[in-house]
Amino acid sequence: MNEFAIVWQHRDLILLGFENTLIIVALGATGALALGILLTIPLMSPRPGIAALGAAYVDAMRCIPFLLFVYLLYFGFPTFGIQFDNWWAGVIALVLYNAAYMAELLRAAWKNLPKEAVEAGHAFGFSGWGLFRRIIIPPVLYSSLPLIGNQLVQIVKDSAFLTVIAVAELTHEATSLQTTYFVPFASFVAAVILYWVTCMTIETGVAFANRLAEERR
Amino acid sequence: MTDLAFVCLNRRVALRRLPVFAFTAMALAGISLTTTVTPSRAEGLKDIAARGYATAVTEDDFKPFEFMEDGVSKGYDNDLLAEVRKHVPFKINQQILPWSGILPGVTTGKYDIAVTAVLVTEVRKPTFEFSSPVAQSTTFYATKAGAKIADLNGKTVGAQAGSAMLAELKVFDTELKAKGGAGLKKIVEYPSNPEAYQDLALGRTDAVVNTEINLRSLLKEKPGVFELGTAVSKPVYIAWAMQKGNTEFAKAINDAILAVRKSGKMYELQEKWFGVSFKEMAETIK
Amino acid sequence: MTTYDYFSIAYGALATVSLSLVSIALGVPLGLGLALVRWSRLPILNQLTMGYVSIVRTCPSVTLVLLIFYALPVVGISMEPLSAAILTLTLSTAAFNTEIWRSALANFPRDQYDAALSVGMRRGLRFRRIVLPQIIRSSLPALVNEMTLQIKSTPAVAVIGIVEITRAAIRVGARTYDPLPPFVVALVLYSLIVFVFVKTQRTIERRYAQAGAPV
Repeated sequence: MNEFAIVWQHRDLILLGFENTLIIVALGATGALALGILLTIPLMSPRPGIAALGAAYVDAMRCIPFLLFVYLLYFGFPTFGIQFDNWWAGVIALVLYNAAYMAELLRAAWKNLPKEAVEAGHAFGFSGWGLFRRIIIPPVLYSSLPLIGNQLVQIVKDSAFLTVIAVAELTHEATSLQTTYFVPFASFVAAVILYWVTCMTIETGVAFANRLAEERR
Repeated sequence: MTDLAFVCLNRRVALRRLPVFAFTAMALAGISLTTTVTPSRAEGLKDIAARGYATAVTEDDFKPFEFMEDGVSKGYDNDLLAEVRKHVPFKINQQILPWSGILPGVTTGKYDIAVTAVLVTEVRKPTFEFSSPVAQSTTFYATKAGAKIADLNGKTVGAQAGSAMLAELKVFDTELKAKGGAGLKKIVEYPSNPEAYQDLALGRTDAVVNTEINLRSLLKEKPGVFELGTAVSKPVYIAWAMQKGNTEFAKAINDAILAVRKSGKMYELQEKWFGVSFKEMAETIK
Repeated sequence: MTTYDYFSIAYGALATVSLSLVSIALGVPLGLGLALVRWSRLPILNQLTMGYVSIVRTCPSVTLVLLIFYALPVVGISMEPLSAAILTLTLSTAAFNTEIWRSALANFPRDQYDAALSVGMRRGLRFRRIVLPQIIRSSLPALVNEMTLQIKSTPAVAVIGIVEITRAAIRVGARTYDPLPPFVVALVLYSLIVFVFVKTQRTIERRYAQAGAPV
């Protein structure tokens, strides 16, 4: 089909979109994981008020569809005076939204942590931030690696929603290509293949990291 | 007793089977809805006559040409379509879609005609059979009221993705650079115009390009928010698009449009929606 | 916001719920069928199913719906936006459901299977009476979780023009240039819908956690 030839001719557009997607996903995933780790602290807090606040945030993010959240952030927030450009609105939306999911799955892993490890840490004089960073987080991260990998794949898929606020990511560029040159089949097939390759790489990477984690345990 | 009879007689059992029945009902509804694949491929006037109807596709938000109000599609193109319907021997079914689906829908034969404001550009002529012109326009840019920018050099400009206005903007950019200017800082592509206008009002972009007709309609709708700049293109015709080679069907449509024009109704509609009428338009697109 | 605006958002909510329900109703059995194909290792179908699940699970809903609606007509399959939306959502949820059903089948206790064989049950009867009720019970929490996720990916079909709740809210906001009120309304309605689903999920989990609960 000469549709694919036209797409190949303009492949720089698709590759630009792909690059943007990768950067947005990388930033979003790192931010979401970091914020998620920090968020598990209030979630696991013995004080009911703080735990309730954390739970409220997580529940809110789990109720809203991502598309609506993006629109809210981009078109709704300027009413409060907070305005982002579309690229940053997309990244921040990804971070805030997925941090809730990360926190939830890290919390589940934290709950399943054997009490002995924490008590041994206390016995050796670890407390507060040190205890968190060196005793709690490493096993929690290692045991939830597959779930984090799943969430990463979800972040890749959520990034496609950013096309509606005109972020030049992969789906947006594929749409732009097909409306200008009338090649819908080739451009979207190319986009689907690129998404598939990305997610497969993430899954392979996570499986590899999981194997390393198993050895460590 | 058979299973079914038992279920019907015993209410408690029936209640427990309710989820299964509901599930099956929804599944059947889904299957019937998915498989209503109407054979809407554009295959010439004969097939349309045999079918009894032609399919038209219209954009959902392009004031004043077509827009949705209270669930009904209104605007210049819709009023004109109502008039054209009186002059053609077949029914015309209308589907509302976002812009990004309209031209590809016509090229792939999904729809017989795009009853929407399609600018006639040299790039589009080889791919589409254009109808007799329905309007004429020049592409302008609009800015926030009071912005008072000298020209578009160094500015961020928004446009609808896949539109002729975007293509004209890119040509304008090259012209600016050829004259020694810095050119545009950035072009932002939106899925539809309302989002472009919103971002302009918020100050995310410095200007938005669209046809003069659309921008004037916007100024009238939201007075004091925006103001009109200068032209970025030459005047072009606006027509309805059909698949290339569909000449018999195009002739039927053109005859209808010219009939509406001869009766003066087209100019009336133009006055109503645009405030001006285009009496000097050519009768066919070469 | 006018009364019609509220009505249009509520109507969009209705569209969202109906689309979700229909795609769930189609996707769950389809997932079971494909899981059985994988389990029984039919030669070519097995590979095809693996490929389908792999591709659709990694494909964003937005891209998938654009592919089905705009690209399939090129190869001859043309459909209305509504049909394309239902098809996309069904295919998407079926891919995830296949994995859920497959893990339930894999974890099915082998001894029950052997017991059924020893009594002389034929394959159909064995599946209908022994295997199916138990895998429904064990995979129900995961299936309902997937349903909740499915509801949240229905906005993807807004890009082909289906006026579901998100698109309805966006339209109102674009007309009034005051996007916050319609978004808030859409948010409230969405949370209500998701809340109902999550509540159902918790109730089902609690009921089925009771040992020997009737199916």
